[in-house]
Amino acid sequence: MIGSTLFYVQRFSAVYLLAYTFWISAFLITNNPLEYKTWTVFTNQIDFLVLTSIAAFVSIIHAFIGLWTIGTDYFTSRTLGFLSMSFAKYADVIRGTYTFFFSLLGLSITTIILLIIWS
Amino acid sequence: MSINHNKIRPVYINLFQIKLPVSAISSITHRLAGVYIFFITLPLSLYLLYFSTKSYNDFMILKNNLSNSFFLSTFVTFSFLVYAYHILTGVRHLLQDLHIGESLSASKVSSYLVFCLWLLLALFAFSRLYL
Repeated sequence: MIGSTLFYVQRFSAVYLLAYTFWISAFLITNNPLEYKTWTVFTNQIDFLVLTSIAAFVSIIHAFIGLWTIGTDYFTSRTLGFLSMSFAKYADVIRGTYTFFFSLLGLSITTIILLIIWS
Repeated sequence: MSINHNKIRPVYINLFQIKLPVSAISSITHRLAGVYIFFITLPLSLYLLYFSTKSYNDFMILKNNLSNSFFLSTFVTFSFLVYAYHILTGVRHLLQDLHIGESLSASKVSSYLVFCLWLLLALFAFSRLYL
């Protein structure tokens, strides 16, 4: 994927998540203290289900680009070499393991969000 | 051309001796906050969402735990304050992408502004929690 696509995906996903966060926060502030009934009515309405499902995908895409950028910035032989030369040799393995681990966690988080809200 | 020129460049960089400008501190802490959100705040939100919608009993247990457990309430408040910090520094970055406040002086001012806003928010949140 080309860099500018990643750049725009990162920014537009940020704007979506910002709007989503404002929406949830506005509900929590106007319904403080929160009651079980108002909360479950809110989380069972179609707006919540659809917008949260979108947020589940968007947040994981946003997180993937951010964490991938961090990995390619800091887990390289050059940067790890400042810590220790033996680390530097395994830079690609360390970055690969890190990328695999957070991708797996991200996919599980999206799956769990969808399971929680739609069940 | 001096041959010695290459010999005086730093070969060992002490990270603790590098003084970052304030805008760089705001940028690196934005990244750190992002990592914290993905590995801690996001799974924590799933836990809260799951138990708060599971049943009336679970909702009340969660509510009691949040008001009685010092550790849990502090942990939840802190985790969402980190999220608020990521949002504040993130909005600053988005505005800069739109070429708003890009100059060196504006960037300094907005970094301090973001720190102050977040401190106020943190003070407000913790005073609501403990007082």
